[in-house]
Amino acid sequence: MKASNTRLQAVRDAVNRVDLKNFRFWFQIVAFVLFVYGGYFAIDLGSRLPFFSCGYNDEGRAGICYLLPLQHQLSQPWPRLFSLASIAILTGFLTFTLWFIVLNKGWCGYICPLGTIQDWITALRRRIGIRYSTYSESQFEQLTKVKYLLLALMILIPLGVGGGLFSHDVSPPFCLICPARMVLPAFTGDVSQFTIDFSSKTAMVMTALGIAVTALFLVGSFVRKRFFCFFCPMSALHYLLSKPALLKLKKDGNKCTRCGDCYRVCDMGIKEIADDVTTVNIMTDDCTMCLKCVSSCPENGTLKATFAGIPIFESTEEGFIKRMGKGLQHGK
Amino acid sequence: MSKLNLCVVAMLATLSMNGHCEDYRSGERRVGQGGRPGEAQAAEWRAKRGYPEGKADAADAAATPPVSAAEHRHGGAPAAASGAPAISGKHEEGAHSGGRPGGMRSGGAVWLSDSPPMRGDGSRSGSARGGGMGGMDMGGGRGGPPMKRLWPRVGNDPQKSGFAREDAEAATEIMLVSPGKSEGEPLKMPAENHAGLAFEMPAQGYYRVYLTNRKLQGDKLSISVAKAEVANFGHGGDEEEQARAMLAPRFLESAPIEIVRERQPGEKQFFQLKSGDEQAYLVLQKGLPLQGARVRFVSHQGWSKEAVSDEQGRVVFQVIRDYYPQWSEFQKRFKAACLVIAEAEAAESGSYKDQSYSSVRYQATLSGSYQPSPDDYMSYAWGLGIGLLIVLFCGVAVYLYRRRRVKPFQELRFNESK
Amino acid sequence: MESDAKVIPIHPSPYNLSRQAAEAQTVLDHIVDDFSDNPESMRYFYDLFRRVYCQGEELKHEGLLVGTTCIHAPEELIYAFGATPVRLCNGSYHYDQRGADFMPAKSCSLVKATLGMLNSETVIPKIGKPDMIVNPTTCDQKKKASAMMENMGYSVYDLELPSVKESEASRVYWQRSVRQFAERLRELTGRKLTRKNLKEAMAKTGRAQAAFRTLHNFRRQSPSLILGKDAFLVTNAYFFDDIGRWTAAVEKLNEELAQREKAGFKAVQSKAPRVLFTGSPPIFPNLKLPLLIEESGGVVVADETCSANRMLYDMTAVDEWLVNDMVDSLADKYLKPCTCPIFTRNDDRRRRLLDLVSSFNVDGVVYQAFAGCQVYEMEYRSVAEEFNKAGIPLLYVETDYSPDDKGQLSTRIEAFLESLKNRRKQRA
Repeated sequence: MKASNTRLQAVRDAVNRVDLKNFRFWFQIVAFVLFVYGGYFAIDLGSRLPFFSCGYNDEGRAGICYLLPLQHQLSQPWPRLFSLASIAILTGFLTFTLWFIVLNKGWCGYICPLGTIQDWITALRRRIGIRYSTYSESQFEQLTKVKYLLLALMILIPLGVGGGLFSHDVSPPFCLICPARMVLPAFTGDVSQFTIDFSSKTAMVMTALGIAVTALFLVGSFVRKRFFCFFCPMSALHYLLSKPALLKLKKDGNKCTRCGDCYRVCDMGIKEIADDVTTVNIMTDDCTMCLKCVSSCPENGTLKATFAGIPIFESTEEGFIKRMGKGLQHGK
Repeated sequence: MSKLNLCVVAMLATLSMNGHCEDYRSGERRVGQGGRPGEAQAAEWRAKRGYPEGKADAADAAATPPVSAAEHRHGGAPAAASGAPAISGKHEEGAHSGGRPGGMRSGGAVWLSDSPPMRGDGSRSGSARGGGMGGMDMGGGRGGPPMKRLWPRVGNDPQKSGFAREDAEAATEIMLVSPGKSEGEPLKMPAENHAGLAFEMPAQGYYRVYLTNRKLQGDKLSISVAKAEVANFGHGGDEEEQARAMLAPRFLESAPIEIVRERQPGEKQFFQLKSGDEQAYLVLQKGLPLQGARVRFVSHQGWSKEAVSDEQGRVVFQVIRDYYPQWSEFQKRFKAACLVIAEAEAAESGSYKDQSYSSVRYQATLSGSYQPSPDDYMSYAWGLGIGLLIVLFCGVAVYLYRRRRVKPFQELRFNESK
Repeated sequence: MESDAKVIPIHPSPYNLSRQAAEAQTVLDHIVDDFSDNPESMRYFYDLFRRVYCQGEELKHEGLLVGTTCIHAPEELIYAFGATPVRLCNGSYHYDQRGADFMPAKSCSLVKATLGMLNSETVIPKIGKPDMIVNPTTCDQKKKASAMMENMGYSVYDLELPSVKESEASRVYWQRSVRQFAERLRELTGRKLTRKNLKEAMAKTGRAQAAFRTLHNFRRQSPSLILGKDAFLVTNAYFFDDIGRWTAAVEKLNEELAQREKAGFKAVQSKAPRVLFTGSPPIFPNLKLPLLIEESGGVVVADETCSANRMLYDMTAVDEWLVNDMVDSLADKYLKPCTCPIFTRNDDRRRRLLDLVSSFNVDGVVYQAFAGCQVYEMEYRSVAEEFNKAGIPLLYVETDYSPDDKGQLSTRIEAFLESLKNRRKQRA
């Protein structure tokens, strides 16, 4: 009994010492290959995935982002929407929720191909040696609401389409402006999304808007870490469902020195992670659960990721010194 | 800039950007060179018949796939008003050069349409999934299975065919083959022409309707089979059921003759034929390929092209583009009806209704639909242009902002040097 | 110009016979000789203080010398520009008296001693004249010292520190201050701040901090492996010692402590009350209070002072090892975790104290406030309330560098420690 406990402790210590940056880099590559090229290996994980495994990536995808079928379902004619289809919508939402609660927002930080691409763009910028930009506090507070606005529009516009208020050319509205629609299929050689559709005015406006957002995405994620995640309606939807999630980011405020190291490394620039010492479930709506905060916290057990209540990755002084020390030696 | 001009610009851009148009133009050459035996034979056959050489009007050359247009003969008159190509092709019935053939032709083929005559040109683009052969009709009441309605029509032009009238001399038999079934079940002929053939589609998959007419004319038995294939798939349906439907056989072993649309490579359940696509059809007789059948593809505007089936019963057509509205009226989901008619004669003797016959004339029709090619309205040049412009603009803006900003607390930055 | 008048040189008496040397000698002898079982590796630090404080040995340094009057001056930046930082905060009673000319009678001994040292001809530790003094604008007395130091002929740089640390605005303000400081250092040294030299500087400090943290963690052991007076001496040496040598010596000390731990060594009796030291910083030779505690049978197991824990504990995290991110990260480290009482709120200090109490198994807290150090005096009330709530005994001691109150303090501390022992017995 005792031997197994010490062995478990040894495993935990090893995990807590892990070079998270490296681990995450490779994990993201594997996830990226799986979800962008998995289709070629006949992998199909359904169409209720809680991250941007883009459905427009027709050949390579190993599953479809839930937002596409959701918008599709919501844009059905009203008589059907409020009868037969409502059951399908509910079961779809349930499946999505089941997927989501496994990893919580960990889907964003570790799996989402669009998130991974942003991290690669960030890595490129870092390579070149260009500093990143941040939002000021007031900008942050304003912009953080955008994702909820997009979520609301993403639900209301398809409903309007189904009710005949809008043209079918605006459906699915979010997909049309989502950079993943253009960027991810391009990885399997399908660049057909990089077009302007001149078939109608609405289609023209929507496709031009999509191109514009993709262009902004490329520039934005070059100068700001995880630029798009800040506006992602999926992220907003995640947060609304995050209560029962299994993977959790927890903070022990008593041990926190508010040194701000976690805030310092946060890709999203979430101040609460450092300053809030009363909330236990510290994950906010902007969080991507990349766990960089945990890896850069020098206080033992202050921040931790737990799965179903079991700690799986904890902040330790030893791990911090090892990781930061490695950063210091790097490039010497 | 007028809308039309814009449209032309877009199409020019498309042509200049997209490689697919090259394929379109070289369609005939490819068919002629033919990797597959059937294509080679078809080309040979075409040459033998001395097909008229049509020429595309120079003004429309950029917007018109010339080869396909030239290769298609027109069943009626070209719809010049909508900006259709003025092609000096030979009409099937050359006399009707002034307009479309009036009324309906009594000698036309019977086929199954998903819209009654006079309902216009099949533009039901408002709802992509509403009508058309590939979709399903609403109906069956709330909560019930989707309902589909087909109208037997007669004529060789999809737009101008009238209701098929009941022929007292002919024996008509209507069969509905549901997904997963190898045998059909009889469907009743509608009492009223405009009511159409209605049936429910409770399962997901392909429903096929066969309308068979047998008629003895002298010592010649003529058998015609009009067939329609209706795909019934829903989003989020049972995936296994869908997969089964995709694998199920699509012909009827008891059918005296039928046309089967060959699947495109990688075709999925929500497939839609597009202008410019090459589409192969198989002519089968009791489930076996029929060689030497004359197969005709008739487009929405009545342009037609004929070929002869090879030893695999196979024949390939390239779907032309014959949809030229004003840009403001352009609908990318415009569902144009098309018709495939196969005919063959056989010196078979036998007896029908106690009367003997010495030869049989077989006729099969298959109706379908196609939509405008995305290459007609999607532009890479504009997409990439706008994208690049915004990337450049934003990139420069961010750079200048960072260089010049003198915002308090941000004005001092260091050069990154190693 | 020729002059008939001859200058007759006055030979000053050698330093080791001076009052300062005597003061240092007395304290050091006390530290070394009046306690048994001093760790072998502490000899480096004993010798260092003897050489520097008692014999007046000169300290060598690389590049320009930048004096700092507070822990808020980012030393990594100074190292990155090839200069050497030296902390000027002084603990000598002799200098305290000499500095009394500059400040009102009832002001902080530390500031007075620092001014007194800078104003004297024989600056001990003998570091030479700083090429620049960085004076972060912390407490009022340090702020006002700026002009005085300038009048003494020093080049002084006021490093602007905000008085609120929670707000994002002050964080941004402070980051800018630090950037400006780096710019000033560039002007001073004529060198460039590069990724490489900043990284190396941060690695130096990082290694020192890691060594300190290990030492800090050894002090969690109950009974203690090392006495608080030695720990204070170690961190005091960080003020002026070469950072590489210091780190090596601490790492050696840590090895010895690891062996002590394995051998089950006890530096004090098991029943010795464990004391957390907080408040005004003990700086050699003014180790009066820690020494009194440990003489009386207690042991200082942890502290929350800017001459030890607060100076070395908090470590910098960097996301991208680019100059801009590193500088901003440094700025964050020097502001956000700081528990200095000059800030408007002291929530972090109270939380830090409570955490130290629980994680170091502390029996009681000794709160030192230098007479005249208003901020510590003012914070006493809130800290006392917090401990009262938590049921942890607190002894508040208002004192200065003068040895006069030693007897009276001794009685109070003995009584306090006795009460801690009784409490422990009652609990058991």
